[in-house]
Amino acid sequence: MKKNLQKVMSLLCVSAMSLSMIAGCGGGNNGGTTTTETPAATEETSVEETTAAEETTEETAEETTEETAEEETTEEATEDTAAADGESTPRNETLYEAGQQWGTINDWNPMSANSNNGLALSANESARELVYETLFMFNALDGKLYPLLGSEYSWNDDQTELTVTLNSDAKWSDGSAFTAEDVAYTYDTHVKYQSSQGADFSTYVDSVEAVDDSTVLIKAKVENGVAVNPLKVTSILNTMYMMQKAYLQTVEERNGEDADKVKQDTMEDLVHTGPYAPYISNDQKAVLQRDDNYWGQASSMWGKLPVPKYIAHTIYKDNAAGQVALSQGEVDVCQQFITDVQNLWLEDDLPISTWLDDAPYGACEVMPSMFFNTEREGLDQKEVRRAIAMAVDYEQIIASAMSGQSPTFAEYPRSVVGPTDGERKYVDFDAIADLQWDNADVDGANKLLDDAGIVDSDGDGIREYNGKNLSFKAECPTGWSDWNASMEIVAAAGEKIGIDIQTYFPEASSFYDDMTTCNFDICMWSTPGAGVMNPYSKGMFYFSEEYAKLASNWSGNFGHYMNDDAEKILEALPSETDEAKLKEYYTELSRILLDECPAVALMYRPTLFYAVNESVWTNYPAADDGRNIPPTDCTDGYGIAALYELELVE
Amino acid sequence: MKNTIKQVFHSGKFLFGFVIFMFILLTVLIYPLFVTADPLQMIGQGNFFKPGTYVSVEESTLEKSYTLQIPKQFSKLEMVLDVETRAKIQDFLLKQGVAEADIDVTDAEGLVALWKANYDPNTKYKGYTTAKRKALKRLDSQITAAMKDSGVIVAEKDEEGNLQQSKVIKDTDYVNIKDVSKKTFLLGTDNFGRDVLTELVAATKSSLKIGLLAGLIATAIGLLLGLLAGYMGGLADNIIIFITNLFTVIPSFVILILISYSVGDKARGIAMVGIIIGLTSWPWTTRSVRSQVISLRNRDHVNLSKLSGHSMFRIIFTDILPYIASYVVMAMILQISSGILAEAQLSMIGLGPATTKTATLGLMMQWAMQYSAHLNGSWWAYFPVVILIALISFSLNLMNTGMDQVFNPQLRD
Repeated sequence: MKKNLQKVMSLLCVSAMSLSMIAGCGGGNNGGTTTTETPAATEETSVEETTAAEETTEETAEETTEETAEEETTEEATEDTAAADGESTPRNETLYEAGQQWGTINDWNPMSANSNNGLALSANESARELVYETLFMFNALDGKLYPLLGSEYSWNDDQTELTVTLNSDAKWSDGSAFTAEDVAYTYDTHVKYQSSQGADFSTYVDSVEAVDDSTVLIKAKVENGVAVNPLKVTSILNTMYMMQKAYLQTVEERNGEDADKVKQDTMEDLVHTGPYAPYISNDQKAVLQRDDNYWGQASSMWGKLPVPKYIAHTIYKDNAAGQVALSQGEVDVCQQFITDVQNLWLEDDLPISTWLDDAPYGACEVMPSMFFNTEREGLDQKEVRRAIAMAVDYEQIIASAMSGQSPTFAEYPRSVVGPTDGERKYVDFDAIADLQWDNADVDGANKLLDDAGIVDSDGDGIREYNGKNLSFKAECPTGWSDWNASMEIVAAAGEKIGIDIQTYFPEASSFYDDMTTCNFDICMWSTPGAGVMNPYSKGMFYFSEEYAKLASNWSGNFGHYMNDDAEKILEALPSETDEAKLKEYYTELSRILLDECPAVALMYRPTLFYAVNESVWTNYPAADDGRNIPPTDCTDGYGIAALYELELVE
Repeated sequence: MKNTIKQVFHSGKFLFGFVIFMFILLTVLIYPLFVTADPLQMIGQGNFFKPGTYVSVEESTLEKSYTLQIPKQFSKLEMVLDVETRAKIQDFLLKQGVAEADIDVTDAEGLVALWKANYDPNTKYKGYTTAKRKALKRLDSQITAAMKDSGVIVAEKDEEGNLQQSKVIKDTDYVNIKDVSKKTFLLGTDNFGRDVLTELVAATKSSLKIGLLAGLIATAIGLLLGLLAGYMGGLADNIIIFITNLFTVIPSFVILILISYSVGDKARGIAMVGIIIGLTSWPWTTRSVRSQVISLRNRDHVNLSKLSGHSMFRIIFTDILPYIASYVVMAMILQISSGILAEAQLSMIGLGPATTKTATLGLMMQWAMQYSAHLNGSWWAYFPVVILIALISFSLNLMNTGMDQVFNPQLRD
């Protein structure tokens, strides 16, 4: 009886379950049909976003119709998707980038310390000029500054005052004229609220004043009659984004002049001078739209508008996703490291090319280097540092970790300068030839340690210093595959010379904490790229005591290496103009770098990776085209000139 | 006992799984006897060299050559000019204004002559993208190379630095592969230039070690707690099952990640990873052992033992454990298999053992993925690893179901 009851119950249970499943499935099906019928816009949760999306739909639809009227070639398919999606832009008017923006854009504020806006804000030597603009554009190919908002600059004879003439055609996106007042106010605001740029520049710049509407006078800080660092003052021209005085005042007012609030203002209602304005920004993609009233179409500047109407950047999950999109032609310009990039055209026969046809494929100018923490026991010994440096198999790093996309140290011997001719002329390589070491010189490294009395006395295979095993952690952020692999090869070298090196790949944020506060054994970071201050900035990167003393040091000398000789040279360098003297200084710095090994370059690398797909756009800059446009992904510094010369593929 | 083993081996499923597993195990044990090279040695300078035999080019040029009059089944030109290339050439010629009637794509010689007449590598052809222009340039150099007469000149630098011809290599020259140094990579190399096959064997060994260790630990903990909870009942049962439930509801993989992360890279050797996995995967063994024990503890023979005044531990180990032993062995097999999988998962997110110290299956997968082997078509860097992981867990699971059929009366044929 009991068993029967159980059977009946279980039968009931099963039938109830299957019924509910069928019902559930049915419901799901119905639900599915309804969603497909509703436009995408209704999925947006907030009312504001919904309206925004709808507006976008309308705008895009209008543009598409205009497009059809102008050119009869527009395919219906494009129109359909544009209308249905509500956020697409016509493919033949959009330049897709990859590898610049990861995650959702959080602000448009050039003063912000934690902005995640790679698409618009990248205020380094080759600043990204799409939305905000700097006074001058840097061209890494010839090391010169090209006029943008400013048309001319000149130093007075004793290098204490820099006079900048502005382009009188320059205008803000709201139509008002760009004046010297704006420049002065931008600088003052940076300093007033101590943004990182403001704090940095105020050490070297005394004041920025508007002489008249189109003339700016930048006064350098002067000590004993000599400017502290005229090079640094010059770099204000190509690294500081210009903001409008009136707009900044609005921002200050609405934040009650509170420094933190001003710096955290998202500035979504920004006023800018650049050719592109924010258009769409969400967790899927970020799109900039061309400002057709852009001042640069004046004949004093470009004389025309940039070709693509939109610059779009899909937010990819990782490098692999971006690479797939590039090979499928969904991305036009890709700023990503691609393993065996040559296979894309040699084997897959895709219309993809890089700056150079052959290895190293890119314009290498920086040196990712490993820093030794000279405050750690063991690493404070130069023999230990040099031994590790000697034992590393750099050719393996270059061939496998960098996939051959770097020249070797046999081709370009080590020094404080990068691999470009413009920098190499400052170092006498014959004078430091005896300090260079062979690739993977394990025997030499072992001998060096043995001679220094750093030996393995307890027989565990690891050498001791002061009775303690030499055991270090080599760290860099997780997921940076080429750097991770380099650190593994460094660790493998340690094994061969009896020094225990463990790799440690934390999340980027905790790596930054370790690096900026000198809480590491061995860490890896890249030298500054080409710029008006090079190779001086590379010297600073390796030796500056000033950087070492910063509480949060992002700039260089992470291992707190102190050397008075190097410091004296660094002080003398900025105001030195005699080429012979400069060569002597940089050779001496290189000598100290190779002899003392506070840091060691592991490879050469481009500042930005550059691979272009010519499925939609063509006429991208290439090394041999003679146009002198650097491969900065059509966005940075003088590289933006490429945007004005792009053509559609026929 | 002998009888049980005999019975187990009669099960086809078990036997199949056992053979696969033993094959893997024996390979792992025997292969290193023949190949003594360090599996982590970075041999190839570059990423993902194709599987195959690599012969020394220098020796091949210098070694005594044999002239073989093999009838040429192919001409070099025909090799270069496949159908697609011919179409490309035709397309180019048409664009250059050559009349369509003049172009005969079937005639290789004629096509090349037209190409040579119309193509100039130094001209920047309009209407072509940079990539296409570069492709044309490559095609031109291929054609030039194919059209060259037989013979490559080998020259050496003399004392003054001038080139002196020392040898001419003709296209009928062959070397005997036995005469030259060579290196075979049956499965190519990985992103660090390491021999994938050798690494794979070493990795399987360490993955098996990790799995075994994890399985043993998880089963030991699970068995002990399950026996105690099931037999003692009452408060002890409540406490143990409370803890077990706690571990069951928190996803064990999350705990695994947290523990591995806090342990740090330094301590994460094979043993540590095995222990960590073992410590996080015991709960379900506990639960199932407990329920088996509960059903056993009221059997007559257990009650008899109790009446005879046997101690608790004696009852557990002599009267209960033998009855669930077969089940425990099966559970352990599953634990081993999931331990291997857990290692692979951990290493995939960079929380496994150190790359330079050990090879594990998960680490191989992780590096293959980081260097996008799956996008490059470098299947040898990840596919054998996947197959091996699948084979190991497949064979273990087969053995498990085979045993289940023998021991479980309800499933017995």
